[in-house]
Formats: sequence, structure tokens, C-alpha cells
Amino acid sequence: MRSILITGGNGGLGLGIGRYFLEKDPEAKVWLGVRANRTNAEALANEVSGRCALVDLEVTSKESWESAVALILEKDGRLDVLVNNAGLHRDHLLAAMPDEAWSSVISANLDAVFLGCRAVIRPMMGQRFGRIVNIASLSAVLPPLGQTNYAAAKAGVVALTQTLAKEVARSGITVNALLPGYIQTEALSHMDEEAAKRAKSTIPMRRFGKPAEVAAAVLFLACQDAAYVTGSALKIDGGIF
Amino acid sequence: MAQGAELRQKIKEVMVEELMLDFDAAEIADETAIFGAGGLGLDSVDALQLVVAIEKHFGLKIADAEKAKGVLQSVETIAKAIEAKG
Repeated sequence: MRSILITGGNGGLGLGIGRYFLEKDPEAKVWLGVRANRTNAEALANEVSGRCALVDLEVTSKESWESAVALILEKDGRLDVLVNNAGLHRDHLLAAMPDEAWSSVISANLDAVFLGCRAVIRPMMGQRFGRIVNIASLSAVLPPLGQTNYAAAKAGVVALTQTLAKEVARSGITVNALLPGYIQTEALSHMDEEAAKRAKSTIPMRRFGKPAEVAAAVLFLACQDAAYVTGSALKIDGGIF
Repeated sequence: MAQGAELRQKIKEVMVEELMLDFDAAEIADETAIFGAGGLGLDSVDALQLVVAIEKHFGLKIADAEKAKGVLQSVETIAKAIEAKG
């Protein structure tokens, strides 16, 4: 059995990653980290009774991370994979950006990854095995207008990933980042048809990505055989660069 | 729980295995400095892994950096801390 924790477990990408693990890895036990909104996560857990469970997790809270990790270790005796997927964006031009839009985005996208990594690193060192996959964003390297907060946070996630990868390389733990571009989830629901058309015109593949196409990369980075891949930042974007 | 020479030998074996050192446990003397020039030459990354390994194998929890400095000087100081814990 491999114990896998995915944050943002009620959202489209988190659910997609969880479902992919359950379908492709018969050894996977998936924990979906959720807050108040949990309907979708509960539905997935009910579909695969016993192999998927919910855990309360406020990713910006140190105490919440400690409780969630303690619960998983108590139930499963180990935690093999952490997928830091939770995040949010609040786009504004910098000149008009409210303080709260800056701080909340940095907190949810960068502080949360720091807290999550710190919470799991000692148990993983004790196991001498661990896989951490941080979901960053294409915005980390190709930031669009209006995302100084989000792009800075995600670039920070990439730098954190690469630094931590060096710190734990001798402990059997790998740390990698994924940089998804436009992925067909609720995060794109704000786009009207015209905006979606314009966005697709910038993508060489002329389509948005699917959650399963991100999940496939997560599954690879989380597998035993990816032991020599660490500190990488992999774009998943249909060819944008 | 092992004591005396047996405990010190076990600590050396744990260090070699958990820190992936490329020398034998027999090459480590009880009093050899773990860090710094002239010693084993381990670094802060090794120190963290060693703290986790000592808790896992010997049940000794090293809670803060100050305590770690005192305990992680040599195999001998690690052994004494484990023996003092009982």
C-alpha cells in the first residue's frame, strides 16, 4: 500500500490526480485534503470505498498540517507521496492590487507548500522514502498581466522545490514541480467563449489540457522508478514557450 | 537496548547505512568528530538525517538545535545520550 496525500482534493485538478492514482496504481491509498467544500471529494471516496478518504486540511495552517499528517500516519503507518495542489488566484494589476489579494495568494500558494513540505519531511526521512510533487504553474516562468502575486508565489514554489530537492536528496526523497498551463478545470470557468478561443490560439496544440494529463506526470514523479528525478520543473502546457 | 561497545557499534552501522557513507563502520572511532575538518566531514543535511535515524533506531528524540549540538559530536556522545535516556 502507498499512502498519497493530495491537497485541494475537492477541486478539478486534485480530483483528477486522485482518480488517476486510483485507476492506475492498485497499491494507492488516496487522502484528499479538503476544507468546507467537500462534495466532489466525498463522491470520489464513496466510489472506491476503502482506497480513498478525506482529511481536514487548511493548507495555510501549521496546526492543521500537523493534525492531518498525524492522522494519516496513525491510519496507514506511512506517508509516501505529497501532492501540493491547493491554490488560488486573485488577479489585479499591481498598481491596483489590494493588500489582501497579495497576501492571500502568497499564503495559499507558497506558504502552504512550505508548511506541507515541512510537515511531511521528517516522517519521509524516517522511511527513507518520499515523493513530493508541487503543482506550480506556467505563470512561474511565463507570467501574464495581472498575476504579480500568483506568478511570484509559483516562481517561489519552483525555487523552494529545487532547494528542498538538494536538502533531502540523500534521504530517498524526491521533490519536483509541475508547471501546468491552461488545464480544463473550474479555474477556467471564468473565461467566456471568446476569451477561451483567444487563449487556445496561443497554444500550439490549440486545446486546453486535461486534468489526467497533469495527473500522468504526477504519477510518474511519484513512482519508485523516478528515484533519480529530483529538483525538476516540468511544463505541461501544450507547447507554449 | 544495547549498551557499551555493542551500542557504539550499532550507532556506527546506523550512520553508515542511513547517511549512505562510503566507508565501513569499523573505520569510525568512538571519539571521531562527526562534523568539521579532521572528522567524518558530515554536513547539516547529514545532521538532520542523523537526528531522524537516532529517534527511529534508538528512541532518542533530539528536540532542538542546542541539544543536537551537544549530542551529535561523536559516536561516544550519541551513545552517552542514548544510555542516559535509559
